[in-house]
Amino acid sequence: MADAPQRARGEAQYTADVLLPGMLHAALLRSPHAYARVKKIDVRRALEAPGVHAAVGPEDVEALTDEPGFFGAPVAAIAANTVEQARAALELIDVEWEPLEPLLDPDEAVRRGQLTDEPRRNERGDFERALADADVVVEGEYRTQVVLHNPLETHQSVCRWEGDTLEIYTSTQYIWGIRSRVAKQLGVEPDNVRVVCNYMGGGFGAKNDPGEYTYVAAELARRTGRPVKCALTRREENLAAGNRNATIQRLTVGARSDGTITALGGEFVNAVGWDGWIAPTDGPMQTLYHCENVRTVTYGAKINTAPMKAFRAPGYVEGTFGLECLLDELAARLDVDPLELRRKNYAHSSNERPYSSKNLMECYRRAEPHWERRHELRTRSDSTWKYGAGLASQIWYGGGGPPSYAWTRVGSDGRITVITAMQDIGTGTRTAMAQIAAEELGVPLDRVRVELGDSARGPFASISAGSSTTPSMGPAVRAAAADAKRQIIEIAAQRHHLEERVLDISDGNVVSADGNLSSPLEEIVGLLENAQILGKGARGPNPTGMQVLTFGVQVAEVAVDVETGEVRVLRVAAIHDVGRVINPLGASSQVEGGIIQGIGHTLSEQRLLDPATGTVLTQSLDAYRLPTIADVPEIVCELIDKPDEHLTNLGSKGLGEPPIVPIAAAIANAIRDATGADIHSLPITREEMLRALEAAKQKQRGAPAAV
Amino acid sequence: MDVLTPSTLDEALRLKAEVPAARPIQGGTDVMVELNFDRARPPALLNLNEVRELRGWSRENGTLRLGSGLTYTEAMAGPLAEAFPALAEASRTVGSPQIRNRGTIGGNLGTASPAGDALPPLLVRGAEVELASVRGARTLLLTEFLVGPKRNALEPDELVTAVRVPAGPGSETFMKVGPRNAMVIAVVSLALRVDGDELLASYGSAGPVTGLVRAPLSERAGFPEQVAAAASPIDDVRGTSAYRRHALRVLTTRALDRCLA
Ligand SMILES: Cc1cc2nc3c(=O)[nH]c(=O)nc-3n(C[C@H](O)[C@H](O)[C@H](O)COP(=O)(O)OP(=O)(O)OC[C@H]3O[C@@H](n4cnc5c(N)ncnc54)[C@H](O)[C@@H]3O)c2cc1C
Repeated sequence: MADAPQRARGEAQYTADVLLPGMLHAALLRSPHAYARVKKIDVRRALEAPGVHAAVGPEDVEALTDEPGFFGAPVAAIAANTVEQARAALELIDVEWEPLEPLLDPDEAVRRGQLTDEPRRNERGDFERALADADVVVEGEYRTQVVLHNPLETHQSVCRWEGDTLEIYTSTQYIWGIRSRVAKQLGVEPDNVRVVCNYMGGGFGAKNDPGEYTYVAAELARRTGRPVKCALTRREENLAAGNRNATIQRLTVGARSDGTITALGGEFVNAVGWDGWIAPTDGPMQTLYHCENVRTVTYGAKINTAPMKAFRAPGYVEGTFGLECLLDELAARLDVDPLELRRKNYAHSSNERPYSSKNLMECYRRAEPHWERRHELRTRSDSTWKYGAGLASQIWYGGGGPPSYAWTRVGSDGRITVITAMQDIGTGTRTAMAQIAAEELGVPLDRVRVELGDSARGPFASISAGSSTTPSMGPAVRAAAADAKRQIIEIAAQRHHLEERVLDISDGNVVSADGNLSSPLEEIVGLLENAQILGKGARGPNPTGMQVLTFGVQVAEVAVDVETGEVRVLRVAAIHDVGRVINPLGASSQVEGGIIQGIGHTLSEQRLLDPATGTVLTQSLDAYRLPTIADVPEIVCELIDKPDEHLTNLGSKGLGEPPIVPIAAAIANAIRDATGADIHSLPITREEMLRALEAAKQKQRGAPAAV
Repeated sequence: MDVLTPSTLDEALRLKAEVPAARPIQGGTDVMVELNFDRARPPALLNLNEVRELRGWSRENGTLRLGSGLTYTEAMAGPLAEAFPALAEASRTVGSPQIRNRGTIGGNLGTASPAGDALPPLLVRGAEVELASVRGARTLLLTEFLVGPKRNALEPDELVTAVRVPAGPGSETFMKVGPRNAMVIAVVSLALRVDGDELLASYGSAGPVTGLVRAPLSERAGFPEQVAAAASPIDDVRGTSAYRRHALRVLTTRALDRCLA
């Protein structure tokens, strides 16, 4: 890791570390009701409290509301000398609330037509007929819960006005998005907004937008003429900082008795919340398998809960849980091996467009030894603990795209600086970009320095979301490095009277093909004195007419205590195809992180509401249960590492999201293998596990003796 | 807020008598949470960490005497773990290494939470709590000390100095069900002890106070049901009352198997 020492020594400056001279601190008043109207709001008493400098309400900042639609919606804000003073003053804001009846049931919202958007309908082939013709039909209703991003660094911004320029230090996944959104909202020129994010403590999709904390800090800074920091507390992070929305999925699969899937249908209800968009819960059903007849409808239920935000493969995590569990129930019904069933229904080419590359079959092949372990595993079962293995496939985006730019600068000392106004959201991007530049330029890694994180100091760079950082930025950096290299070789050719095509740079030396020349890079660029070589690079387009997707399969091994309902994940083998791997250590960290976060989603995490009032009950990390290190299984990570020949000058796809996509279904399917119980609802708490075991018992009693 | 730091027990008791509202603090793993969440604003903290008399444990004519400053880490290992295995097992399940290094038995008694993990092992041993004030010392049975959810029998000027249990032989164990593998407040917990012809079980997180159930060994078969029936659990974010009863039945059966193996 290029910046490991800085991180380890605590020198890396996160937004949470930003302290500007004279800086004030903001605190937000949030709605104590899931749905209410603010009839009156009076900040006069608060303004008189010790240390308070300014207050803003719904009339001053658009992100504040006088009709809060969810518990924790931001209503007003105070700036004071200290956070404590600001928080204390919140209690002095006089508000007259008119509580309204909250709607919390997503199915009911759909019935009432209270939707965030038009329902999304998709159909290919003739689903009804295919279903009627099918040899077997399996149906199931699956539910997933609300889970939270809970990044280590909470959402926060520090804003400072310098004349008519606004400086924003913010914890973000998209420097340029913040710049344009804030400029538009405040009616200032984008060039008068400078966005800085040097180090960032995680986002998982919740930090793509400015958020109320940025707008509030900007307005309070304008009013007070001082820098203002607005940082959410952990409690606020658990209330209203974004979430993966709950879903209800009513799924149907029809197949021939040999396992060929002929019909897939799904009705998806996304419990979007008060605001947000309809994530593609229907995506896996449409794309994962070859099936001619597919019909889906997806509703976005507008209910009185905090708005969803993108969360690590939004929609696909939820949809893959439903679909891949359904597929295993089909496999059980047909008595087909689950891995075989997936191979049999392999989508060789997509319906409309070919894949730029797809090595899912290779992933399945590499899964075989892990899958074979289930026979031995099952023999460990006794009357209390049941053992089993399950698998699930992964499909997701991750190709990135244009535009994105990078510059390189080579000084006479032979050192290379890569400059681009991108962000590193904690995924090791600095290191990956340095590696790409070093490889292209033929110099050791320690000669390269990466300058990023400031919109005033570098060209436009893509968002770090949708697994796009490496596939979007890497090609631009590589092109910028290639541009510099071309110029260096030009100089070397002139100096040594050689043709450019026989020259190359390798291990920091300019070398000729015949081996006669090997001269340190510094000797060539040293001639420049104060002159510099400047390289420019841009991200090219994605291959036209092709789909750029990532693929994979995971095999989970579990043990289930059938008396207490405890589920232990023992081992997960993750095999993913993401094109060329840049940094194996960074890549396996993403796989481990995705699986651990996914285990939380599968087994323990859940934002709970009071069903009557919509109050959030899980307001701390004591009540909201992330997995601990004691919940982490052995994780085996295998990456196919074949460059995608159609995709950019790099051949790399992203890996931030793929590992979290199949894990819930793999665990649920392992539970079925171990116990015979069908899991239909997340999280699989002990009670849910016991309920599923009981349902399996009932089913067995009620079912006909043989099919 | 003042922090008072006595270095002897006498000084601590004098300060507690002078400033009864001063909140004792040992590991601070409960007190600091209360302060952080603004659930308490005591005028002063009475820091007991320098009071030597409260530390460690000893054997005294047939009893184990555990100082109120005994940490979970200390209870988890060595001769004490052998002499009091259920407490050692319970201690190993508390929080994380940091919490076990700081958290104390005395603090668990002070908080008197129905989920306190040290309480069930102490209850099945018939523990007695030593209390002291400038007025003198007194001893209460732990069952008398725990008077309600998060309420104990301490007078405003009193401190817990120690807890005593008989050192005698017997077979005992502790089990806990939580929603994940570490850092969990119990969904339910259970300590079970077979003492000669008597069965004793104590459950946590399944009633307003940590409960104690006894039966003769001859009634072993019905004991899991008896324990489950004695509990009065509620539904909360950690689990439902039905699950808690079910889990108590399972844990009691398993604990009996383990202790009578
Ligand atoms: C992250 C975390 C995880 C936890 N996990 C668990 C768990 O798994 N199981 C569990 O049981 N608990 C758990 N706890 C709670 C806590 O650690 C325990 O209750 C611990 O025993 C408290 O001991 P302490 O020394 O830290 O108490 P303190 O916080 O110092 O004090 C606790 C209370 O006792 C009073 N007190 C302390 N000493 C005396 C004395 N000598 N005389 C009179 N009153 C006194 C204090 O005034 C206060 O009211 C956890 C806490 C945290 C923060």
